Amino acid sequence: MKLSRPSVTQCTGLAFRMDLPAKKSQGSDWVVWQLVDSFFPTGGFAHSYGLEAAVQAGLVSDSKSLDTFIKSTLENSGSLLLPFVSASFKLPDVAGWIELDRLLNATLSNHVARRASSSQGSALLRTAATVYPDLAELGELRGVVRAGRASGHHAGVFGIVCGLLKLDALTCQRAYLYLTLRDVLSAATRLNLVGPLQAAAMQQSLRGFGEAVVRKCADRGVEDACQVSPLLDTAQACHDHLFSRLFCS
Amino acid sequence: MREKWTGELTVEQCCSRAAATRAYARYPLKLVLPSKVACSGIDAVWVYLVTYGGGIVSGDSISCKVSVGDHCTLVLTTQSSTKIYKAVQGKFSEQVFKALVAKDALLVMMPDPVTCFAAAKYKQIQHFFLSLDANLVLVDWFTSGRRERCEVWAFESFRSTNNVYLDGNPVFLDTMNLEQDVSLPISSRLQDFHSVAMLVIYGPRLSSIRKRIEERVGSQCEEAVRKKKHRSSTHGRLLCSFSSFGPSDAGLVVRVAAVETELIYDFLKQELAELSDLIGAPPYYGK
Repeated sequence: MKLSRPSVTQCTGLAFRMDLPAKKSQGSDWVVWQLVDSFFPTGGFAHSYGLEAAVQAGLVSDSKSLDTFIKSTLENSGSLLLPFVSASFKLPDVAGWIELDRLLNATLSNHVARRASSSQGSALLRTAATVYPDLAELGELRGVVRAGRASGHHAGVFGIVCGLLKLDALTCQRAYLYLTLRDVLSAATRLNLVGPLQAAAMQQSLRGFGEAVVRKCADRGVEDACQVSPLLDTAQACHDHLFSRLFCS
Repeated sequence: MREKWTGELTVEQCCSRAAATRAYARYPLKLVLPSKVACSGIDAVWVYLVTYGGGIVSGDSISCKVSVGDHCTLVLTTQSSTKIYKAVQGKFSEQVFKALVAKDALLVMMPDPVTCFAAAKYKQIQHFFLSLDANLVLVDWFTSGRRERCEVWAFESFRSTNNVYLDGNPVFLDTMNLEQDVSLPISSRLQDFHSVAMLVIYGPRLSSIRKRIEERVGSQCEEAVRKKKHRSSTHGRLLCSFSSFGPSDAGLVVRVAAVETELIYDFLKQELAELSDLIGAPPYYGK
């Protein structure tokens, strides 16, 4: 009996971007895998995206509220940060990146989120500069951040790293949302809200929602960046007042 | 930039007192300038921004440009909550606001909340251009809707932008966007909370008020995250927190969410009580 080969759409369950390149180079696959791998040392697991504070504020207490939290966080990442990922991806120069970083600093009015963003951004910059020493711009950006001329916010660093690595724009944005989901689920596991198997199942079941967020927010301008969850934003800023903390944010 | 504003207001020093030297408004906006709000000895101009019908209908855009001159104090407020009526043919109700706050001036913008009716679509854009030592108190808030008619987080879209520029540089760029989404309805994001507010404080004249707000909000925040009480009851529930922003963390933004609008009125009255020394009357008095 001959089995027919499933189409790309059937494999992934996705029905958008039918103009994806027929075959990506093996080199760029490896680059993307490494960027989204938890093994890549960027300190993402020190941050809970406000989940720890939300739990202690009584906003997340069961699987339904956790599901809402994760969806809100993905939606927020897409609406607030993806425009900066996209803009820095297209940037040709360090001066433009500094300006974008300044705008992002003013946009991150929540000091806990702002702190997490510059901490993760700096860690990503350090790792990427080590792994890709040929990309001189990364060394230059590290110097700018060390000199205090920029904060090195994560979304801006992620975008420019992907741009310098010549990944495609959509992959860059999808990977950014993937990282958000990865880190929130990791935090949920460590906070004992879900077990690792359940977290893996959630990662799969939320994929469609994550891809829908990318579709909605892809290539939006930074002037349209917005936050979508006032309650979680309020709770996250309480992080420094928590009695005991597992995470930095 | 826009050519014709619905309202224009200029406050300047005149004979050593602050006075409104221009107060223009056309339908549907009205500016009411009562002369006896601030108690004697306090030099502050009070202006009520009033819309005919108490709200904004679908398709209407109300724009207001305000200029607060050197050393002047201007208080902008409303008579009651701003109602946003349901969208017709998908058209938004809109408010646009631009303020220039000069050297040592103080702008206090403390409106009642915005209440969007079911199926309403609303956007507001508020830009504040501060000189280096200007001062700003900004309250921006909204409710879940007409609860008495069981309209709770039933609007289609609410978008509020508040941007603060210091000497031309952006220091606070905040846009809150709530849009109905089948997979993530607004009500699921707001849970049992019915009112959300943001309070922004910036400027040297407000440094002691700011410090006391931080202390009080910090304790309330601590109580909210450490007490287990909230897990069983939502009565009287209020969640608040604060963050600094801007160069040298000079700005303060306080975020609040509460299960009742009255709780936020009480919160604002308490946190802004000391402002009466600068503006001549207690904020939200009688509300």
